[in-house]
Amino acid sequence: MKTLTIILAGGPYISEDAMMAYKIADAALNRYHVNIFLYLDAVHIPRRGQDPAIFANEGELFADLAERGAVIRACSRCAAARGYLAEEDGTSRDYHEGIKISSLYDLPDMISESDGVISLCR
Amino acid sequence: MPMRSVFYLLDSAPYGSEKAFGLLNAAAASLGKMEVTVGLYGDAVYLALRGQDSKGLGVPNLAEILYAYGEMRVVAHEPSLADRGLFSEGLVETVELVDEEAFLEAMEGSDCLIPL
Repeated sequence: MKTLTIILAGGPYISEDAMMAYKIADAALNRYHVNIFLYLDAVHIPRRGQDPAIFANEGELFADLAERGAVIRACSRCAAARGYLAEEDGTSRDYHEGIKISSLYDLPDMISESDGVISLCR
Repeated sequence: MPMRSVFYLLDSAPYGSEKAFGLLNAAAASLGKMEVTVGLYGDAVYLALRGQDSKGLGVPNLAEILYAYGEMRVVAHEPSLADRGLFSEGLVETVELVDEEAFLEAMEGSDCLIPL
């Protein structure tokens, strides 16, 4: 199975990037192994307890991707800077289940093992 | 086919946001795993200037990251420097000045393009 990696750097709702990433990953999961790396403000996306009222809850959408097999990782430096702390296994009480905080070194690992990379970073 | 080279493209100024710092960190983390090129375009060429002092901003001096990772290929878009009147300014020694065509070639020659 081929591998697709999506890189995000923007937070939820401020742009369509997170929603576009969700839709791409949603379709790609039928044919690809999907990685998503959350960088800079994108580490806000998996936060629990979002209540966007007029938008779809992007935290829950990404949790759904993780449940269906997408590997979703958030940069640890970016996460710590924004107040998200990781447990030893990379999980975070602030995050939806299945989404982990990990090292930035996961990014080049994901890229180098991918057949395609999509960067949604504005 | 697995990716063997990556081009990180920066087009924003070094100290106005976290982007330049984030891009350099990602590029540094990619060294040893892949062939890495950092491309500076538009306002990002300010990152190539020698003699940066960011103490007043309370943020790391990004030029020091360029010096620390001398093996990282950094190309600066020459027309962007010229457009900003920076052509005669001293540059960080590890930065390579390239024209439009060479910049494009460096991007096209990489397996993966990551704009930040």
